[in-house]
Amino acid sequence: MQTDTQRERFTIPIGPQHPALKEPGHFRFSVDGEIVTGATVRLGYAHRGLEKLAEKQNWVQNIYLFERVCGICSHTHATAYCLGVERLAGVIAPPRAQAIRTLVCELERIHSHLLWLGVSAHEAGFDTLFMYSWRDRETVMDLLEALTGNRVNYSVNVLGGVKVDVTEEIAQAIYKGLDFLEERTHHYLQVVSSDASFLQRARGVGVMTRQQAEVMGVVGPTARASGVTRDIRIEAPYAAYADFPPQVIVDERGDLEARFVVRLKELLESYRLVREILARLPEGELTVRMPRRIKSGETVSRVEAPRGELFYFLKSNGTDTPVRVHARTPTICNMTSVVRLAVGHQLADVPLILAGIDPCFSCNDR
Amino acid sequence: MSTVTSIAALLLFPSGLFLLLSGLAYEWADRKLLAQFQNRVGPRWFQPLADVVKLLAKEEVAPDGVNGRLFVALPIIALAGALTAALYVPLFGLAPAFSFPGDLIVTLYLLSMLTLCMGIAGANTLDRFSLVGATRALTQLFSYEAPFLLALLGPALVAESWQISEIAAYANGRYLLLTQPIGFLVAIIGLMGKLELPPFDAPEAETEIVAGALTEYSGRGLALFRLGKGVEMVVGLTLVAAFYLGGVANPFAFLLKTLVLLLVMVVMQALMTRLRIDQTVGMWWRYGALLVLAQWLITILFHAISQVHLMG
Amino acid sequence: MKFGSMLKDISQALVQQPATEQYPSVRRPVPERLRGRLVWNPATCTGCGLCATDCPAKAIELLVLDKKAKRFVMTYHIDRCTFCAQCVQSCRQGCLNMAANHWELAAFDRDDFLLRWQSAPESG
Repeated sequence: MQTDTQRERFTIPIGPQHPALKEPGHFRFSVDGEIVTGATVRLGYAHRGLEKLAEKQNWVQNIYLFERVCGICSHTHATAYCLGVERLAGVIAPPRAQAIRTLVCELERIHSHLLWLGVSAHEAGFDTLFMYSWRDRETVMDLLEALTGNRVNYSVNVLGGVKVDVTEEIAQAIYKGLDFLEERTHHYLQVVSSDASFLQRARGVGVMTRQQAEVMGVVGPTARASGVTRDIRIEAPYAAYADFPPQVIVDERGDLEARFVVRLKELLESYRLVREILARLPEGELTVRMPRRIKSGETVSRVEAPRGELFYFLKSNGTDTPVRVHARTPTICNMTSVVRLAVGHQLADVPLILAGIDPCFSCNDR
Repeated sequence: MSTVTSIAALLLFPSGLFLLLSGLAYEWADRKLLAQFQNRVGPRWFQPLADVVKLLAKEEVAPDGVNGRLFVALPIIALAGALTAALYVPLFGLAPAFSFPGDLIVTLYLLSMLTLCMGIAGANTLDRFSLVGATRALTQLFSYEAPFLLALLGPALVAESWQISEIAAYANGRYLLLTQPIGFLVAIIGLMGKLELPPFDAPEAETEIVAGALTEYSGRGLALFRLGKGVEMVVGLTLVAAFYLGGVANPFAFLLKTLVLLLVMVVMQALMTRLRIDQTVGMWWRYGALLVLAQWLITILFHAISQVHLMG
Repeated sequence: MKFGSMLKDISQALVQQPATEQYPSVRRPVPERLRGRLVWNPATCTGCGLCATDCPAKAIELLVLDKKAKRFVMTYHIDRCTFCAQCVQSCRQGCLNMAANHWELAAFDRDDFLLRWQSAPESG
């Protein structure tokens, strides 16, 4: 008779360096043939000590530090940080600044979701969708570059406002770009929900029930694809989301197809939101005066990153440097679901299940 | 045929060096077309050649735990198998260099040598990705091999010969694609499976198992495997074109018809998502084998009826 | 459920130019707001040093030789700069700017990444 310890388990290590991972993380999948029987995850390979470094820099320098936590949702991190610091200081950024923050947040969501679509399509082995979605993503990258001056780290936020203004010319360019993207997104939505060869990899794979999603504390589009109505933009509106409320996109199915559909429908919602913000952009100043020393106290700041809820904790002792800044990113909330869902699936489905939560290891490890 | 011309046929043209280069050229055409379909630029014309030259110049690293001799020998056997198969095929619109009754079966099995060698090469190492890749490669081999063979035997059946040159002569000018459409479809999809092109690239799915069975190969071994794959592509395309597309009697027809076939294959590559290995196996046995058997049945029935008519 | 739902895309791509830009040979116009290399205009500088204080990458060093005579030495490390433009925002005199046309900053020599400007003394 063989006991479990005697039986040699065939373990497949994925990572820290692996083509399926765009960032370092380490997974061990024990497999029986092609079926995954167990999974563990080890994180922290991209730890850069940013939170500790923040304690040595002044409040202004830290905006750019936290902007570099993540290469994809950089603006969301900076917004969460700035909103927190402004709350500590008792300062409220002017409405136009808040609207522009929201505008860039949504443009960033568009670029992040399109990027995710390409990565996931590639993990599934559908490279044509990958190439086309990334080609179209260039549209929104160009718009962001024209608006902010950079493609990735936009540096839009300053404490007490924003740096950049939206001119009529840029607004027109954004309208034009969004029209193209909207047409393409409808097309991709139709592809992911009707293409037979794609659906056999996505439909009914990696199903996470609503109950599971709630127990595991999953956030963002991953949770919404399992029917959990959870969106910080609505639950606790920040920046200008109170004036421009988005609609929550939910899907009850909880499989990979639902995650594709939810994210693509969120794109359509973002297009609507961006157009609305541009049409009703409040007039006024871009910045208010901000003290260099922040009143002592502590606060939390929550924003909805493209991947889910992003949470910042800030503590000040009245000087120009923070005492503690902590960032908890959506990836850590979603990571448990990967380890849980992978068990029982085929090895070939694992990269797609992992990509399904849109993991960002750099965010997660900080 | 004199010895000198035989050796020239083996080493230079049409088999040998020329075939290796045309294998690389077809690989380039495949990649370039796929890139064009995906709105990319794609590789420049010498890219596959440059890759192979670079690999040949590099050190071959045999990892710990492998059988060293096997590790070195397998790529050579694989390439030799593919090159030998080419001798019996009407390459570039020329008559096959060698021919004997029943060479179709031999050619098909020589073509499988490559996959078999890759499978053994993967199983030879201790690497997990290689082992999974090898399992998948061999599983896939067993699933597409029978339907592919049956699909190529369809034309043999109507030509009443198992000799490639005779089937090719029979099929010349007769578009069997029209009379045996299912056989054609199975043959071309089987060829894609044989070449492990997407969507049948589960054995080397990079997002799951890095490079599959060949993960541990670098340098010369990898170059030889890649050359072998290029040769197999040319041979496979030639066979399908000669049998189903009305023959490849002259170089022009050869080029045109194989490129049309390649185009069809690239379109399928561009349109489909990678199949899981269980889906591949299920597809071949559930649909591929059954369909091609149905095709056979119809062919035999027609044949019998026409025989009866002739006699009557 | 259908096969080949991207058939339209790929058939269009057959007659389309590739979307890839062949960068060094083809250059797109640079957006107006692109944040390139820092440009310092010493005429209005007061030597307050806020740009250096707020720089998250410590890319700016401002040496004040004589505040009244407006003699400053500005050292700018391109290799450290993260192009966030906080210095431009912090400068109350508006003497800093990020030049949109200086963005191809790669160099073979590390010394090329060091820029040192000296303000012209008012009277020689």
